[in-house]
Amino acid sequence: MITTIGEIVRGDAAVFPPYLYEAYRSTLRRAPRLPLVEVPLTASELTRPRLDVGRLTAEDADLTRNAGTGGEALGQRIIVAGRVMDENGLPAPGALLEVWQANAAGRYIHKRDDWPGPLDPNFLGIGRCLTNAEGEYRFLTVRPGAYPWGNHENAWRPAHIHFSVLAPSWSQRLVTQMYFPDDPLLSLDPILNAVPEGARARLVAAYAHDVTEPHWALGWRWDIVLAGPGATAFEALEQSAA
Amino acid sequence: MSALPVTPSQTVGPFFHDCLLREDRCDAKLGDEGGVQLHLEGRVIDGDGAGVPDAVLEVSHTAGFVRLGTDAEGRFSLSTTRPKRVELDRGTMQAPHLSVAVFARGLMNHLFTRIYFEDEPSTESDPMLRLVPEARRTTLIARRAPDERLTPLYRLDIVLQGAGETVFFDFRSPAR
Repeated sequence: MITTIGEIVRGDAAVFPPYLYEAYRSTLRRAPRLPLVEVPLTASELTRPRLDVGRLTAEDADLTRNAGTGGEALGQRIIVAGRVMDENGLPAPGALLEVWQANAAGRYIHKRDDWPGPLDPNFLGIGRCLTNAEGEYRFLTVRPGAYPWGNHENAWRPAHIHFSVLAPSWSQRLVTQMYFPDDPLLSLDPILNAVPEGARARLVAAYAHDVTEPHWALGWRWDIVLAGPGATAFEALEQSAA
Repeated sequence: MSALPVTPSQTVGPFFHDCLLREDRCDAKLGDEGGVQLHLEGRVIDGDGAGVPDAVLEVSHTAGFVRLGTDAEGRFSLSTTRPKRVELDRGTMQAPHLSVAVFARGLMNHLFTRIYFEDEPSTESDPMLRLVPEARRTTLIARRAPDERLTPLYRLDIVLQGAGETVFFDFRSPAR
């Protein structure tokens, strides 16, 4: 894919995509053009962000049944499980994971998704959970379908699940997308390809037979590694200030 | 120990509202412990000067943390308690500010910025603001708008690209 790639990146340029990636058209008028200003991390960024989400239930992590209809979503039932950690492998317990995805036919419930793929009345495509003490998470859902978009002629997004991670430290905030390995659309997708080549595979889940449950659901494993100093840095900062 | 490979970011895309903004709110309240109140209004603007209708802001300050979206014209509004001064490091205080993360379709990674207040005396000497080229500092300072209401109203636009482009930050690790 030949495209103009901008030089402005926040974080490690070997990991994070540049803001300007011409092949993804929406970056053209939204990418900053002036250099980011490098500043030290302070308590403002290291403090744990507390988003009021109310009490989470097990149903919040079951996208096959959380539409409130009493019915079950159609599609291949899958389990997506993994661990959220920092770069040193320390788990991130209590991280809020929020996921959203298209249904098995590739259609979102969103009011602005209007391509002629069928909606599933029993599927919202929204879930959330907190990681446990080991940083582990687990969602039950259906495998999302691919869908067309207007970026270029005959453009289709590969099947993916959006992940938002609110970690112990706000400086570790991450929003990303998880993909499936057997998808021929991956190499054609400018959003995935905006990630430096050496880091792209990190967004692709692995089939995990030990996560698969007999007579129930196929298992996929996807671990998330957060950049930068976590809650331990905040504690160190507090101690140095004390 | 060798560091684990970090997970890259991806855009929030256009379809996040039902998940990230469950009440589809474009205005929000933050902190209600009875401090001095203020209103903040602004727009998220792209390189053509058009409002960005599918952005999410996360705002963090001493009173708490809140998430809000933009409306069809890219507008957002926030009612909050006035933030307190916080320490930068031992002996150095920062001016009151809101820390903001910006997410949108077309943003491959969120952008971090800050919002200071023009009528706050400590803003001028804020140690973070002093790291910003002088000509660009105004992009981080909310202006007091003339308003009949008792609660002060501030305005600041977040300009993603072009004339008056907002200063966005990259963070270094804290000094040891």
